[in-house]
This record gives sequence, structure tokens and C-alpha cells, in this order.
Amino acid sequence: MAVRTKFYTDKPNGKWMGVCAGIADYTGIDVTLVRVAMVILTVVSNGLALIGYIAAGVLAPKKPYDLYETADEQKFWQGVRSNPKRSTAEVRSKFRELDRRLADIETHYTSRNTRLAEEIEALR
Amino acid sequence: MDDFIMWLGILGIVVGLPWLFLHYVTKWKQAPKITDEDEKLLDELYHFARRIEDRVQTVERIVAADNPDFRQLSAPTQAPSVSQTHDYDLARRN
Repeated sequence: MAVRTKFYTDKPNGKWMGVCAGIADYTGIDVTLVRVAMVILTVVSNGLALIGYIAAGVLAPKKPYDLYETADEQKFWQGVRSNPKRSTAEVRSKFRELDRRLADIETHYTSRNTRLAEEIEALR
Repeated sequence: MDDFIMWLGILGIVVGLPWLFLHYVTKWKQAPKITDEDEKLLDELYHFARRIEDRVQTVERIVAADNPDFRQLSAPTQAPSVSQTHDYDLARRN
């Protein structure tokens, strides 16, 4: 399984080397904003950001094509990368919700079933 | 005066930019990280949660079909369920 907490370049979704698309995928920021920030940074830093871009494009590994199976999963891992504690708490709350829903079903079957009682009564 | 602005600019580039860069590098290093094992564990738990939610949904539907008076007290009402989202992958189920 590929590691989901690493930075990858995303060439298929990118314009040139896929670094901006990779940053967008890593952080969850809109890719257009990342590109605009990149252009501004390049102008401000006299091209230093461009060297950083090329270095990142050459050095960073390419994103595996099957890194995420669904868009929800991608979003979940973006949350993990920014704050793993919160994501863990989200998973826990999901389990709590499921526990409550199962408890509802259990309560429904274990408590006095009026409908069933009525049906039995009608058969008498 | 021009000399002063030039030196200020050089100082800004030589000191200010690396400072800014290192500031964010340290910030990034201090950010909470999870280990590879924890990542695998979290991935597994996440998929467990999705799968169990799916099963609970099936059971809820069966119960609701059998008992019209069954009320889902804790079930989310407005949020779309896992199996109703368009990108839901059936291959994930087992």
C-alpha cells in the first residue's frame, strides 16, 4: 500500500510537472489558487520559486494512480495530513454513531413489540 | 538615501527570506505527524467504519420494511449515506 502522508507530484492533473497539482492534492487547497500563488512567488522571488518548483518536480515521487479510491477518501487523507488527531476523532465519532444506530435496532427488538402483540391478539 | 534603501533590500533578501523559509520549515516540522503503522491502522479503521455503516444501513432498511413503526432515532437524516453517493465503489464491500 502506498503511503498517504507523503508529497507526490500529480502530473496527469498538472500543467507542467504537476507540482502545483500535487500541493493542491496534498493540502486540499484549490489548484488554481496554488498556481496563482506560485506565479506571484516566482515574480517576487526573482525566479527562486521556479528553481524550487523544478527541484520538487524532479525529486518528489510521482503519485500512484490508485492512491485514493473515492473522492471522500482523498478528502479524509487531506484532513489526516493537516491534523491527524481530528481525523482520528472523526472516525471515532463515526463508530459512536453506528453504535447508537445499532442500539436503536436492539431497543426496537428487545422492548415490547406492540405490533406483534396486536397480530397475535388478532389470531386468537 | 539610495544607498540605505539598497542595503535594506540586500538585508531583506539575505536575512529576511531565509528567515521566512526556516520559520515555515520549523512550523511544518512541529506539526503533528503520524507514523506509518498509525497510518495503516487509521486506514483500516476508516474502511471498517464505512463497511459497518453500510451493513447497519442494510439492517435498518430491513427492519424498517418489516416494522413500519420503527423509527431511526440516531440515524442522520439529511446527510447522504455511503451507498447513495455516486462514487461509491461496490468492489469495496465484502
